[in-house]
Amino acid sequence: MAIAEPAVVPPSPAPVVSRAGRPRRDLTRLQAWGGVGLLVAVTLLALLAKVVAPQDPLAPVGVPLQPPGSAGFPLGSDSIGRDVLSRVLVGLQLSWFGAIVVIASGLLVGGVVGLVAGAVGGWVDTVLMRFTDLFLALPAPVLAIAVVAALGPGLRNTLLAVGVVWWPFYARIVRGEIRTLRARPHVEAARLAGTGGVRIALRHLLPGAVPAAVVAASLDVGALVLTLAGLSFLGLGQPAPAAELGADSARNLSYLLQQWWIPVMPGVAVMLLALAGNVAGDGVRILLDKR
Amino acid sequence: MSQDDTTAAVATAPPPTGAGAPVARVEDLHVTFRRAGADIQAIRGVSLEVGPGEIVGLVGESGSGKSVLGLSLLGLLGGSPRTSGRAVVHGTDMLTAGAAERRDVRRLHLGAVFQDPMTSLNPTMRVGRQIVEAAGSQDEAVRLLTAVGVPDPARRLRAYPHELSGGLRQRVMIAMAVAGTPSLVIADEPTTALDVTVQAQVLGLVKRLRDEIGCAFLLVTHDLGVAAQVVDRVAVMYAGRITEVGPADEVLRHGAHPYGVALMRSRLSLRTDRDTPLLALPGSVPSPARPEPGCAFAPRCTLAGPDCTTTPPAPVEVAPGHLAACVRDLAEIRAFADAVPGEEPPATGRPSAATAPAAATEAGPGAAPDDAPVEEPAAVRVQNAYRTYGVGSGIGRRRPLQALRGVSLTVARGEAVAVVGESGSGKSTLLRLVAGLERADGGTIELGSAAGAQMVFQDSGASLTPWLTIGELVGERLRSAGVPRAERDRRVAEALELVGLPAEVAKARGTQLSGGQRQRVGLARATVVPPEILLCDEPTSALDVSLAASVINLVGRLRRELDMAVLFVTHDLSVARVVADRIAVMYLGRIVEIGTADEITHRPRHPYTQALVAAVPDLGVEPPPPSGEPASPLDPPPGCAFHPRCPRATPSCSDPALDPRLAAQPGERTRLTACINLEVS
Repeated sequence: MAIAEPAVVPPSPAPVVSRAGRPRRDLTRLQAWGGVGLLVAVTLLALLAKVVAPQDPLAPVGVPLQPPGSAGFPLGSDSIGRDVLSRVLVGLQLSWFGAIVVIASGLLVGGVVGLVAGAVGGWVDTVLMRFTDLFLALPAPVLAIAVVAALGPGLRNTLLAVGVVWWPFYARIVRGEIRTLRARPHVEAARLAGTGGVRIALRHLLPGAVPAAVVAASLDVGALVLTLAGLSFLGLGQPAPAAELGADSARNLSYLLQQWWIPVMPGVAVMLLALAGNVAGDGVRILLDKR
Repeated sequence: MSQDDTTAAVATAPPPTGAGAPVARVEDLHVTFRRAGADIQAIRGVSLEVGPGEIVGLVGESGSGKSVLGLSLLGLLGGSPRTSGRAVVHGTDMLTAGAAERRDVRRLHLGAVFQDPMTSLNPTMRVGRQIVEAAGSQDEAVRLLTAVGVPDPARRLRAYPHELSGGLRQRVMIAMAVAGTPSLVIADEPTTALDVTVQAQVLGLVKRLRDEIGCAFLLVTHDLGVAAQVVDRVAVMYAGRITEVGPADEVLRHGAHPYGVALMRSRLSLRTDRDTPLLALPGSVPSPARPEPGCAFAPRCTLAGPDCTTTPPAPVEVAPGHLAACVRDLAEIRAFADAVPGEEPPATGRPSAATAPAAATEAGPGAAPDDAPVEEPAAVRVQNAYRTYGVGSGIGRRRPLQALRGVSLTVARGEAVAVVGESGSGKSTLLRLVAGLERADGGTIELGSAAGAQMVFQDSGASLTPWLTIGELVGERLRSAGVPRAERDRRVAEALELVGLPAEVAKARGTQLSGGQRQRVGLARATVVPPEILLCDEPTSALDVSLAASVINLVGRLRRELDMAVLFVTHDLSVARVVADRIAVMYLGRIVEIGTADEITHRPRHPYTQALVAAVPDLGVEPPPPSGEPASPLDPPPGCAFHPRCPRATPSCSDPALDPRLAAQPGERTRLTACINLEVS
């Protein structure tokens, strides 16, 4: 009943670097690269949306209200005969890049504020975090309405308004991670080695905060796509004929019972986008996480 | 396989003290975990019996499978491993029985105590409710707490776990484990997280409970000294197999397996020779993912021959009830055990007369060291250092925690001083002040030269930035000194070589190294530019016995080759004795006694030092457990802080006006003691 032992195993000296966890790491790395591949694929699709789209997304090109699978309309046509697939692809482009712009700028601003607050501490921390709280208190839709009222409607103004309220979340996350890391012995060891404050912040603290920030950011993709869609429904996004996932879904809700595909297809696209963001974010986290 | 027949022989060997049917019986147990594609063979054919009322010690290094064996008997194996063989408790096989049946066996016949009572107790529930869950009634809970020596049990029942000290929490866990008088208690490293004086008390309690309620204990421990204190029989585990099992005295004194012998020899005690290097086991524990086909210990065994690497050796009875799984001749093993190897030069680096301890300059007879004349060049001179932290937050007022209450200590150039104390003694705070990681609230700390202080941390893993390579980390001090890159790489390679690591390690990251390798990296980082004084914060406490010995040897060699002073903080007197010329004993933020290593360990004079020395677990030593636990530095007792636990305390010891100062006895130069009731022989 004993577990069979292999007859001959070459007596290998103990490896310098332990390779004990190798198979597991190979598997998770595969998963991680899959996620990153998905990120690249979605971004490529968004980039090439206008090339891939079979029809002009803005012009009526055929019979209205055709169900998915009809000739020339893989995802059906809408109430005035525009191709739903083409509109979804172009809307995907707007939503994806809109979300990425907001997240990237939020990570940049929030990351810098959080890093400085967490690494310096003391009154700098207090001032920066109260400043951050100020922005957290702003309601995004109201601010967006105010911005649009002042600067006029358009995607750029909407993104500006959302971006202004979005970064404080990342500032808080990064600051929290940095505070935790700062208490670890490795930071004290670096201090003892005479390492300067800036280098400690950038080399010994920041990389440890990246995974948490990236995971939070990836989970935000779906929420952002929805926020942007909601704002555009309120008339705060691109004006009417432009293809936006959220706006297309919201405007066509009255067709839900008869021609379900018109509001549902953009909604499905939002869902897939959010899912892709989560999987990709997880993949990026595994690759970045050296712990 | 013939192996099965022979391992079964272990089971048939009757436990010498237990009369009647065994309460637990493990038969040819195999446990294999599947961890993401790799088979981890945690246990590879173990047979063992525990007789009624018997204390069996299960000893092994980390990864030997000893904890898995305990969990198997409890029926609590997580991670759905593949198992074969049997783990029978009271007639029920805990591997195959259903969940309800196993629960019944656990409730009626088993108890469990784990290493960390803080995580084993529910932090949101009062201790009383948790004990009543196990004991059934309030009265029974009080009776149990009284039995395990918890003072004022009725009041403790209303406390939350965090309100109790570590020792009291472990007593509460033991009370819950023995509720309902189980026939077997499985205690997994029950004393590892405790201070040495408290450990002695808890071990005494285990023995007393066995005598009073007759329950058997399976005591899982990595510490041979702990095992030697209380167990009747010992089973030594290595890489998932039992290498040796037998009566405790027999196995620990006359080991019949090279692993057990080597383990005993690399173990430190107060009798360890200070002038020769410690005997460290070469190599490291084999990976449980790729087990050796033959004897698992063969690659590290000096006696191994070609016949060792093909089939696992069968247990042989070498004395009544004493079995060892080794193919070598018993006479050969005994000769190995008695041999005194001395190939290496002394590792602990005895200083020559020229660098003799500077203690004599610290104080003349009767003078406080604070007033010591400043003469000899010192690596570091700490004078009357105070450090107080504010603890507690939220609604409650912040309370002052007095970590250091006036500490003076001078370490001479090239001298090694060990600071010994229990948790809360302030020893780590002292080290941090010298390192410059914190500032003293009062007093002065002067470093002897610009070379400064460097530190080796207790948690070697956490002290290495996980995402940077070892090369970057070790080279960091060179970078901040402005050394160009090529020169840096060369000196990093040199520093790694000096600590016995190959140059390739520079490209690895901390997480890819073993605990011993990480601690060597810590030493390389501290010495890449040799400091005036090397600070070591319990660098060996997280390492296995054999690894700890090699790290201690390395500290001694580096000290000698780089001509550094060493300040070594440890809770373990036997470690302090080997690494240091002088030992300072701290209690509640003060040095209570300081002297040469031999004076402190062989002729302790302060009652606290005497209690510490007596509590060091060792073979054949039955310590009188010192009473009480270290008082809280939040509320140090007035007068001499040790007086509530002191057997020689007199009313004047608790006088708030009393300020016991370190003083030398007439005719003594090196030893200072802070006690007003010294028995001078």
